[in-house]
Amino acid sequence: MTVLGSNELSAAALPATPAIRGGLLDRFWPGVSLAPSILLFLILTLLPIANLVVMSFHDITWQQGRATWTPVGLRHYAALANDPLFKAGIGNTAVFATVAVAVQMLLGFFLAVLTSRVFHGRVIYRTIFVLPILVPGIVIGAMWKLMYNFDFGIINQAIGLVGMMPRDFLGDRSLALASVIVVDIWHWTPFCFLLLLAGLESLPQDVFEAARIDGAGFWQELRHIILPLMLPTIAVTLLFRLIVAFKVFDEVFLLTGGGPGTSTEVVSFSIYRRFFTEDRMGYGSAMSVVTLFGLALLIIVAQGVARQMRRT
Amino acid sequence: MSDGRIDRRTALQMAGAVATTSLVLGTGARAQTPRQVPMTIVINQSPWFDGFRKIVELYEKETGNKVNLDVNPFAGSLEKQRNSVRAAQGLFDLLIMNGLFYAEMYHGGFLTPINDIDPSFKLDPAIPTFDDTVFFDPVTKTNSSKGKLMSVPINPNIPLLYYRADLYQQKGLKVPTTWDELLANAKALHNPPQMYGIVQRGARGPSDVTYDWFPYFNGFGGELFKDEKAGDFTVTINSPNGKAALEYYVRLAKEAGHPNTGGQAQAQVIQNVVTGKAAHAILVIAAWAQMDDPSKSAVVGKMNLALPPSAPGFKPAPTVGHWLGGIPKNVPKDRQQAALAFMNWFQTYKAQVEYTKAGAPPVRLDVMASDMAKEPANRWMKAMQEGLPLGRQMWTIPEGAQIVAITELRLNQAVTGEMTPAAALNACAKEIHEVIEKGGYKTGRLPDLT
Amino acid sequence: MKRQRTLGPTVATHGALVIAALVVLIPFVWIAAAAFKTQIALLTGAFLFEPTLANFNEVLFTKTSEYLHNFANSLIVGTVSTAIVLAVATLSAHALVRRRAPSWLIHGLLGWSIAFHMIPPITMVGPWFVMFRTVGLDNTMTGLVLAHITLNLPLALWLMCVFVREIPIELEEAAWIDGATAPQLFVRVILPLVMPGLAAAGILTFIFSWNEFAVALNLSQKATATVPVAIAKYAQEFEIKYTEMAAGALLSAIPAVVLLLLGQRHIVKGLTAGAVK
Repeated sequence: MTVLGSNELSAAALPATPAIRGGLLDRFWPGVSLAPSILLFLILTLLPIANLVVMSFHDITWQQGRATWTPVGLRHYAALANDPLFKAGIGNTAVFATVAVAVQMLLGFFLAVLTSRVFHGRVIYRTIFVLPILVPGIVIGAMWKLMYNFDFGIINQAIGLVGMMPRDFLGDRSLALASVIVVDIWHWTPFCFLLLLAGLESLPQDVFEAARIDGAGFWQELRHIILPLMLPTIAVTLLFRLIVAFKVFDEVFLLTGGGPGTSTEVVSFSIYRRFFTEDRMGYGSAMSVVTLFGLALLIIVAQGVARQMRRT
Repeated sequence: MSDGRIDRRTALQMAGAVATTSLVLGTGARAQTPRQVPMTIVINQSPWFDGFRKIVELYEKETGNKVNLDVNPFAGSLEKQRNSVRAAQGLFDLLIMNGLFYAEMYHGGFLTPINDIDPSFKLDPAIPTFDDTVFFDPVTKTNSSKGKLMSVPINPNIPLLYYRADLYQQKGLKVPTTWDELLANAKALHNPPQMYGIVQRGARGPSDVTYDWFPYFNGFGGELFKDEKAGDFTVTINSPNGKAALEYYVRLAKEAGHPNTGGQAQAQVIQNVVTGKAAHAILVIAAWAQMDDPSKSAVVGKMNLALPPSAPGFKPAPTVGHWLGGIPKNVPKDRQQAALAFMNWFQTYKAQVEYTKAGAPPVRLDVMASDMAKEPANRWMKAMQEGLPLGRQMWTIPEGAQIVAITELRLNQAVTGEMTPAAALNACAKEIHEVIEKGGYKTGRLPDLT
Repeated sequence: MKRQRTLGPTVATHGALVIAALVVLIPFVWIAAAAFKTQIALLTGAFLFEPTLANFNEVLFTKTSEYLHNFANSLIVGTVSTAIVLAVATLSAHALVRRRAPSWLIHGLLGWSIAFHMIPPITMVGPWFVMFRTVGLDNTMTGLVLAHITLNLPLALWLMCVFVREIPIELEEAAWIDGATAPQLFVRVILPLVMPGLAAAGILTFIFSWNEFAVALNLSQKATATVPVAIAKYAQEFEIKYTEMAAGALLSAIPAVVLLLLGQRHIVKGLTAGAVK
């Protein structure tokens, strides 16, 4: 059984511990290595995840300061089909995640490749390219909202200089989602950049030298050496970036609140509203569970497709 | 063995005597606030928080009692309170609850009725009851003055009409009392993009366009439910009055408002006012402090306040967005008493005067009617004092959180022209009715508007 | 190899990087500049302004401000949780990649961690609050550190798997044959070779812990609150204190910038260690 590409990660096994060497420490080392992760996950994630699943089959109401759990079977899951916010959210989130992550991966990759090829000022470039991710989400939301402002924003001032009419970037239905995506690209490209750069830096240097001696150009080197070697790093970066993009919340919460209309409604924002604001924990949990399975399915399918492509 | 029993009985008798003594002392010495155990108040950071902090310090100094403040971002205050009241043992002894989420605390049975802690406590008559939201009847589940006292108002907050007094003088305009007059005045000053006649808060947010529209809605005689206080939750948002209110709201935006009213949240409305680009705005009193601060405003001394207008035959209806102090059930009795002792001190005239001086609007009407109101810096007091008793609550049930999600979307769609006002209100009525019905209330709805 | 390259491509590379750096920097500089403006100067979008330090004074030194205290808390939570995450993740990654556990455990652990990563934090803070309160870890640094370790472990675990996987198995076999014990092998062979990965995972873990808001808010109180909780207080119900917020954000970026500049040295060290092989 493979779970979400995890088999791509395990490589050759070490030879079994030679019998003569069976020191206690050696024999128990793998267990010692794995125990902290396993314990942490068992203790701190089992309950929240189990709780989430159980809640999704219940209605939870509070009376006299006590919770009452009423089983509702699959009703919450059935109701999702008719939830206008959830439906709009899925569409927008898919567009958002696809566009934003694709651009971030491309930009991050090329910035990383370029940065890895310079020797002077690499520290400076690297620090600059990481800066946006250092700004807390709430500040990014508030500040970009000012920059996008119709009456006073720096962006409208700038396009006014070249004689264009001001646009309401966040209040215009046709622009709002794109505007949020731009902010997300600015905010999250550093994530891709940083990881891909680390991947590049840990590649064995002798391969490059051999390629250069063979007279390979930049693009050949990219296609035949960098990309194949970088594939695991790219895959993990993409995987995590995609998951975080599906959880996008801060930017939407502060920039648009899901509006105008439902043009920037995203799944995690609907979950926040149903689960927390409206205090419908059962229904909100069902939303989370469906999103989780949808995302997992997407990743498994993508992985299958990738494997097929590699074979042909 | 028998020795032990005697010991226990003696101990019990002693404990009883101590309890009786403290009870006698407790009731007898309330005037000068007896020694209390330390307690914790959970509150959100807000423009009026600094005033609250200073008054808490004064209380500590005067009484020697210890008060801890757990100050949270606005966005996190409900989360923290919900966590605490749902735990077996609460963290917080006094909850400062927002007008949008206090209902959840009442209905969920998380609060102790104040007179269960001290039967003799009374809300000072100089403090308005904010559309009776300080009371709760657990049987009918309504905010009725026949119910029990659950909380004490901590911060009064209602929207008032902010207008440019300097421009009014220049153009010889009269402060509007009807919606028609407001439209005429806004049009007279409308000169985009330098000056907008009015800036409305038409965005879809947590509670943006809904809170902005409600003074119009109630001021046109519209009601969300047929008779909420009597327990009749027939949805009447799509009444002819509702339609008139929404059509007016959209028209005002179109003819004298911001070109992108559908994208204006509260921060943008305030930004337009303080930068001198808005001739009018219906804004909460809590935003007033920024108006006369030169580091925050380009219109220092130029703004003034009036009651929101109303349609002929109806009263102005500022929508309350206040904060209430309530005491949870899941904290020890002595800490509940400490919390109540603070509120008892807080509601006195003297404390409220200090509260006002420290920069927070008071909850007592007589403070707003005092000589303090004559100072130019306090020119907001008159409108505030008139407006508070007229304050209306949007809704009083926990399902409000679901209602607001509906109205934010539909009203915003009406403002942006995605839907007609009638269609938006019909959609609101249908969806709100579903929520209310599911909640088990007595309900119904009006025929669709055409 | 550096000398082999002609000048042309290097200039083009720098040119492209400088343009990219400008695009990244302009919004950042704009945010940074806001920290030196008055609120009204910022709101009117004035291009020229008289710089003021009032915002920093407000953030750092007024009576209600607990910023320095929050900053210290964040430093503790950030460094301790990052150190533990890196240790736990690298240890586990090595065991997983070299298949020193049953297959179901390998895939189960990696799959479970990613599923956990997909859950919206808002649905998690409730159960966590209850758990931590039951064992008395709410409002403690330990609780917050534990929570941040768990939140950041999935990413670090997967990343370290990738980096450990890159290490040629022959190196480990050679050490094995030379008689190294398992811990020695891990410390002397694995750790030096995964340095670039550790640096990247470490910086990201630190940043995520440093900026994490939802869990920090719910598990902390006054004494244990972190920087994002402090900064969020500037987004108030009726007034967003943009300029103070910008000042707070600018100050909060300092540790990570320092870490980035220092981290670079470690990466270089890691590379040379790798080259020696």
